Amino acid sequence: MELNEFIANFAEQFDETDANEITAATEFKSLDEWSSLIALSVIAMVDEEYDVTIKGEDIRNSNTVEDLFNAVKAKA
Amino acid sequence: MAFLKIENVAIRGISACVPPKVEENKDIPFYTPEEVDKVIESTGVERKHIVSDGITASDLCLKACEELLNKLGWDKESIDLICNVTQTSDYTNHPNVFVLHEKLGLKNDCMSLDFYHGCPGWVIGLSSAASLISHGTIKRALLLDGDNITSVQYGQDRESRPLFGDAGTATALEFDEDATPLLFQTGTNSVDGVALIHKKGGSREPHTLDSYKQELGMLSGEISTEGVEDLMDGMSVFSFGISTPPKSVKQLCEHYGIIIDDVDKLVLHQANLFMVNKIAKKLKMPAEKVPSCLKDYGNTTSTSIPLTIVTQCQEDYSKGKQKTLACAFGTGLAWASTYFETEKIIIPTIITYKNV
Repeated sequence: MELNEFIANFAEQFDETDANEITAATEFKSLDEWSSLIALSVIAMVDEEYDVTIKGEDIRNSNTVEDLFNAVKAKA
Repeated sequence: MAFLKIENVAIRGISACVPPKVEENKDIPFYTPEEVDKVIESTGVERKHIVSDGITASDLCLKACEELLNKLGWDKESIDLICNVTQTSDYTNHPNVFVLHEKLGLKNDCMSLDFYHGCPGWVIGLSSAASLISHGTIKRALLLDGDNITSVQYGQDRESRPLFGDAGTATALEFDEDATPLLFQTGTNSVDGVALIHKKGGSREPHTLDSYKQELGMLSGEISTEGVEDLMDGMSVFSFGISTPPKSVKQLCEHYGIIIDDVDKLVLHQANLFMVNKIAKKLKMPAEKVPSCLKDYGNTTSTSIPLTIVTQCQEDYSKGKQKTLACAFGTGLAWASTYFETEKIIIPTIITYKNV
């Protein structure tokens, strides 16, 4: 599992936010477009791309995109 | 292994009743127009029928059941077993199955069972009722399944308010030595059950005067749910819903040699459209075989499978043979998949409850 690929997959879940705006250090819950619906898209993306089931607490406990990447990686 | 193959039981009919009041999601006060469009797009829910004026799940089940018995031409004296599924009983002590046994005027020589289950309840109830019938002494059974879930949900709960609706259903079952077997796979993941739990107000965490005042305020929508932890964890429910149900359906098919392409309908618990589509995609089922009633009824908890059959597939089920795969999942966390074949069953047109 590779961080840059994860960031790209993560950024794809947003419609209005520019993909370049999203980096490993982005605190994604502070993004204007972040919503519970985007969260569901992210969960579905992780399920589809990495065959990993993340829970609400994994999202709640992650601040940056890299935090979430590490949470997914730990379960992969 | 929680697989079941139940012989000698036929499904004879399914009916459903919804309350008359409709809430349009676009009219929910706390959304901006842009927000509501996104919510409708991802949930698939435009409106729901919700209870009002004291109507409860048992009222809806009663109406559905009377219509079904009437159309089947079944004498009430012939019913040997009544089962009920609900999370929203009329009374704190006296399960709804007894309320319904009384209101239907069933005979005393009749077994009663009540199931407290969330969204998998109809499939769980079906497996249990069918198991009892398969012995051969109980000839006819009624499975009543209903919830008035919106009356226990908080007015300002942004996750639940646009999603849930109310309904009551009835399913008629009969002993039949020529019936094709009903197949089941069920499971339980209680470790993750916290995602769908409501703790306050039960025996473990009884209400205090203050917490009860807050509860009433949240139910009426006057008090915000901000900071309240006792709510559905939608994200965890979603990840469970897209991962476990497709595996369960696949296991059921593999275990009993069901060829998925031969199935006429995949009827999924109507959790929300995003989840229904994900599960259907994982099972490679074409959209036309996966009916949904989310648009007009929302997520009606355990009733959503029978409600989908009644509202979306009335003609297919009443005019011919149907091979059905169904899967429901939710509170527990629990899930239940089933496969059954039906032949020209009785499906009355969806009933809207009328106060008399």
